[in-house]
Amino acid sequence: MIAQSRQVFLVSSPVQRANGQSPSGHDSMDAPDDAISLMAHDHTESILTVKNLTIDFVSIDGRVRILNNVSLNAKKGEVIGLVGESGSGKTTLGLAILGLLDTPPAEIASGSIVFENEDVLKLPPDKLVDLRGTGINMVFQEPLDSLNPVYTVESQIGEAIRVQRKRMSPTIAEEAEGDSKQVITDLLKNLCIDKPDEVLEQYPHELSGGMRQRVAISMSIIEKPKLMISDEPTTGLDAYVQNRILGMFSAQRKGGATIIYITHDLTVASQICDRMYIMYAGRVMEAGNTRDVLQHSLHPYTNTLVASVPEGFEDAPPLPVQLGEPPDLRSLPSGCKFNPRCPFVKDICKKEEPSLEEVSPGRYTACWRVDKTSGQFIRD
Amino acid sequence: MDSLFEIEHLTVSFRSKRRASLLRKSAPMKALDDVSLIIKERETFGLTGETGSGKSTLAKVLVALYKPTSGTVKLLGRKIDYRNRKDIAFLRQNVGIVFQDPVRSLNPRLTVKEVISEALIASKTIPKKDYDERIDFITRLVGVTKDLLPRRPRELSGGQRQRISLARALVVPKKLLILDEPTSALDVSIQAQVLNTLKKLKSELDMSYLFITHDINVIKYVSHRLGVLFYGRLVEMGDTRTICTDPRHPYTQKLISNVLTLKKAQLQETVVSEHRPAPTGCRYRIVCSSVFEKCSAVPPAIDLGAGHLVSCFLYENRLDNPGLASTQAVSVAEDPSRSEGDLRAPPQDGS
Repeated sequence: MIAQSRQVFLVSSPVQRANGQSPSGHDSMDAPDDAISLMAHDHTESILTVKNLTIDFVSIDGRVRILNNVSLNAKKGEVIGLVGESGSGKTTLGLAILGLLDTPPAEIASGSIVFENEDVLKLPPDKLVDLRGTGINMVFQEPLDSLNPVYTVESQIGEAIRVQRKRMSPTIAEEAEGDSKQVITDLLKNLCIDKPDEVLEQYPHELSGGMRQRVAISMSIIEKPKLMISDEPTTGLDAYVQNRILGMFSAQRKGGATIIYITHDLTVASQICDRMYIMYAGRVMEAGNTRDVLQHSLHPYTNTLVASVPEGFEDAPPLPVQLGEPPDLRSLPSGCKFNPRCPFVKDICKKEEPSLEEVSPGRYTACWRVDKTSGQFIRD
Repeated sequence: MDSLFEIEHLTVSFRSKRRASLLRKSAPMKALDDVSLIIKERETFGLTGETGSGKSTLAKVLVALYKPTSGTVKLLGRKIDYRNRKDIAFLRQNVGIVFQDPVRSLNPRLTVKEVISEALIASKTIPKKDYDERIDFITRLVGVTKDLLPRRPRELSGGQRQRISLARALVVPKKLLILDEPTSALDVSIQAQVLNTLKKLKSELDMSYLFITHDINVIKYVSHRLGVLFYGRLVEMGDTRTICTDPRHPYTQKLISNVLTLKKAQLQETVVSEHRPAPTGCRYRIVCSSVFEKCSAVPPAIDLGAGHLVSCFLYENRLDNPGLASTQAVSVAEDPSRSEGDLRAPPQDGS
């Protein structure tokens, strides 16, 4: 069985090299261009293509690989979910796309991030500044950290509007200066904030967590970015507030925005994402259409995540999850990085790392137990 | 089942240090307002509500970190006098607590073993020679391996830290364990492991849980009975299954309908208004869509049978004429013209 799947595997080696990773790591640099065409299935224009991105963090203690050969693409108007536990590299990927990683300690070992035909990694700093905000922007997990404590909500959102208008056309910006308050009020009303006039006068510390996050998101929306990255925007908020914020995102999606949504919560991802990438230890373990990934998950790690959602009442059986901790990136196991927690582990899993392969159109997984031709998980 | 804790008309208010004016102190803010509930022996009582609803305040009153402004707390039939040291010691002997943030609730300078031993030393009831045996017993139960004992909290992962908090709380046997958002700082797969451990522990150690979380999926999975708080008032209480499948209070209905599951698309883009509590009367009446004149008074707790209590005037007629009220209640809940009616989540049993 193993030998046979190896055979199939070798036959499809160009795909393997393009999408997945190779043990040596050298091939990734000169991966053929058809990687992109393989990942984009219909002909909608890709707005973002991340290819074979590898990022290390270097410190006195040594070099730690945070992202390993990650490829991702986002088409216009799509909501992409990056799902995984802490330490899986979701946020690092988001920051890298925005060019916000500090180098050092971060070091881009290989790969490219192409946003609208330009490699973000090669852009000079002043171009990057122009890109951020109106091109790509990000909503962070902790809104208190991303809002300025000494400015009112009005002046902070106002700044975002000014930047946006200036970039659109400098002359209009000056003429329209006066009506920005009206624009902000309208926007906040749209985001179901009841008394926008009151909120505008307030400072971030006077707002509740949910309100702060909505202000942070409205700053992001008002700039009309081509790509919006949101990093766990609803973590720590209660269900009701969370759903209102998710509602804002789905309204944005209807408006045609492209969103990369980073979360560890599958229930949230299932509600909002068109496609998702399941990440573990800096690698993409499984990718595909949200419904396919959740209903017919191939990778045991995806299964673990699905099984972790509590279901049923007090008398329900224990949740079917294995014991295990998120991986320590400084000392990863050999072979498949999930193997210490995997209930279906076999010999090859401990020796060699599986590459991310396309098992059916648009569906990728990195698991030795998945048959590459039929796209089925084989338990044997 | 006998009752372990009896909480009657508990009110906790805080007064802001900032004065309203030079002559007038600011009005007290009621974090808990006339809350009455019973926690039975060997049950898991779930307490839920949004941020600021008073969930953690209740927990802190039960371990005497806050004093009640009025109302009584009875533990095992003994009325707790919060000015009496012996009563407080009695309370803390019987009640353990695990906090949300496992980083901030463990002393960074102590090793894991010292953290757990501290609880033993403080209890004064267990002889010194039994310490090792107790630590060994409890760490095995909560799933902390021996090699972790000489380490310090910062060397451990979030899930391990939370297990150590659990071990510390339970190393001296307790009657009630309060779990204040024990899993919301953890990754989902770790949350699942901790929930499994908690369920196993409860059956082995013969105690009650007060489980506090805003995550309905979690609370549904762990608790026998459920209380829903809205800005300091208990709006609904009863059997978890009943509340999750047939919520009656308009707020609970909204809360349950907002629970996300993996199975279906539920996200609505409808504009829902901000939750602003009313200063008087029913706290929910500002946002409630079925509000009427009576709501300006404080609604009484109305018994719908089988311990299902709801604080809402919609069900008031039940007091005089049970037959009439049940039809009324159903029609209110299912009337499609009301927005809440169709927001109710369909029954979600374990299938």
